[in-house]
Amino acid sequence: MKGTLAIAGREFRSYFYSPLAYVVICVGLFLLGIFFFLFRGGFWQIDRASFDRMFQYGALGLSLFIIPVITMRLLAEEKRSGTLEMLITLPVKDTEVILGKYLGALGLVLVLLLGTALYPIFMFGWPWNLGPLDPGPVLAGYLGLILFSAAAIAIGLMVSAFTESQTVAFFITFVALLILHNLSTIGEFAPGAIGEFLRVLSFDTNLQKFARGLIDTRNVIYFLSITGLCLVMAFRTLESRKWS
Amino acid sequence: MSTDVMIHADNLTKMFGSLTALDRVSFDVRRGEVVGFLGPNGAGKSTTMRILTCFISPTAGTAKIHGFDVFDQPLEVRKKLGYLPQRAPLYHDMTVWSYLEFCAAVREIDGSEFKKRLKKSAEICGIAQVLGKDIRTLSHGYRQRVGLAQALIHDPPILILDEPTSDLDPNEKTEVINYIREIGRERTVLLSTHNLSEVESACARAVIVSKGRVVADGTLDDIRAKSGRTRYVVSVHEKKAQGDQVAPTAQQVADALSSIVGVSTVRETPSDDTTHTFTLQAAGDVDVRSDIFQLMVDKGWLLIELHRDAQSLGDVFRDLTKSESRMARGFRAEPEEDEEDEEDEDEDEDQDEDEDDSDEEEDEKS
Ligand SMILES: Nc1ncnc2c1ncn2[C@@H]1O[C@H](COP(=O)(O)OP(=O)(O)OP(=O)(O)O)[C@@H](O)[C@H]1O
Ligand SMILES: [Mg+2]
Repeated sequence: MKGTLAIAGREFRSYFYSPLAYVVICVGLFLLGIFFFLFRGGFWQIDRASFDRMFQYGALGLSLFIIPVITMRLLAEEKRSGTLEMLITLPVKDTEVILGKYLGALGLVLVLLLGTALYPIFMFGWPWNLGPLDPGPVLAGYLGLILFSAAAIAIGLMVSAFTESQTVAFFITFVALLILHNLSTIGEFAPGAIGEFLRVLSFDTNLQKFARGLIDTRNVIYFLSITGLCLVMAFRTLESRKWS
Repeated sequence: MSTDVMIHADNLTKMFGSLTALDRVSFDVRRGEVVGFLGPNGAGKSTTMRILTCFISPTAGTAKIHGFDVFDQPLEVRKKLGYLPQRAPLYHDMTVWSYLEFCAAVREIDGSEFKKRLKKSAEICGIAQVLGKDIRTLSHGYRQRVGLAQALIHDPPILILDEPTSDLDPNEKTEVINYIREIGRERTVLLSTHNLSEVESACARAVIVSKGRVVADGTLDDIRAKSGRTRYVVSVHEKKAQGDQVAPTAQQVADALSSIVGVSTVRETPSDDTTHTFTLQAAGDVDVRSDIFQLMVDKGWLLIELHRDAQSLGDVFRDLTKSESRMARGFRAEPEEDEEDEEDEDEDEDQDEDEDDSDEEEDEKS
């Protein structure tokens, strides 16, 4: 456990050693800000439909840039530079390495999401006060974003475990996340059961209810199982170095 | 297995696809030994070390560190180990201090204990003045020192160091080797290097691998004697003998020496006219010096000089690891200068050439 935390802490701090974390946070706040404020009227036009879309586009924003950048180096760079050998031969389990890396990256995204929470506060608290806000949808929307990020980061970590190249990791993660977002759209063109199946597996479908203020256990389980599955895959991949 | 065996490798085999990187590698390292792990490029040194540190698993065979199995108890093994991988990979974006702090944190060393340990290993590795610097900005030698400090931070009983001195300038090399010798007083060290003089200055024992096999394992003296070409130089007084015995003729001495078990060739070497001097070749695994001495006593001859003409480690290394490729390429590497017996060099030079020629013939025949 201590090992996990030490690795997570190092990973989290290492984002701040380079301009990366600052760029990610600034760009992230900016992108999400655009969605919050400007997209189809944003918060200025308080209606349920725009909330719905807003959180979905927020998630898309995370997928398109922030999460691939954050996760691409997690294991790929360690493998390329050889530091993985140093890390693994410390007395930590492979699971702790995976979990530590994962938590480090998740930490950065959580900081970013926390930053965006300022937007609704600005809107409905201080300095503007656009009237009473029903906190339900906002909180549910945030829960959705957090669960989504958890899953997307796990995917990125897994991809990073497959390759030694950060660039390759970036693009594969980017494409994988993009596809997962649009499965529902793809599903519209597929016949019956397959279409329905694709729709159920889509990020967007599973984010919809959160954005409307509804917490459906099925959606929660969806994101958590992606997270679990990808972490196990990442662990297996890391372990497979032993047998290559 | 004795509890004194700190590193125990038992028939380690490692396949990378169809390539056999290690082929039944076995050796032991005991408490308090500094053992040199030698072999040409691609021999399997790093692979062996990676197995010992549980970074990769062997295809077959087992290994134990401090009595813990590398497969079943990797965490216990790693707790006992300090490991410096080849090229000393470090996180370039961290400062030396924060990097070492991280390693200590993973090893569950708390703050005050860490400061104490840091002070000690910074002292040993000579990195006290770079602690606040980014690793990225350090020279390679200092990175290697930081890697060494990382391996020492938890005061491990066993150290596995993969080419800790590669890429260092000669001064730094000597310093690091001195550190290792210092460290090795209380700890068990397995040290891989391509620099044989480092082995000679830091290690009492060596394990030589070639193409994934152990080709030599023993004290440096034994290994030097192992090449199968061990030479003995024997001088017998030409004019005098013990008591009333008659001094022997050269032929008598030669015949007597040839009769000793293990001696293959006896050749007379030019010398001054008070002695008969002979150079013997004997099988590498037996020491015939006591037999020679006994012979002299029995015959009543006066033994003036007797020594085993130990080859330099470099010669042996070449013999053990290069013989196949040498034959394949049809050339013989230049003999390395003999560090131990500089006096004999000049005398023996002609002789050397003859011997080497005959060796070559032997090689070609086999
Ligand atoms: N991950 C790997 N995949 C495939 N082959 C490998 C791998 N690692 C090592 N090898 C092969 O195994 C053999 C032994 O390599 P190893 O790195 O152990 O040699 P070494 O003795 O450390 O050499 P050097 O002195 O150059 O460091 C080499 O033929 C190498 O090509
Ligand atoms: Mg090597």
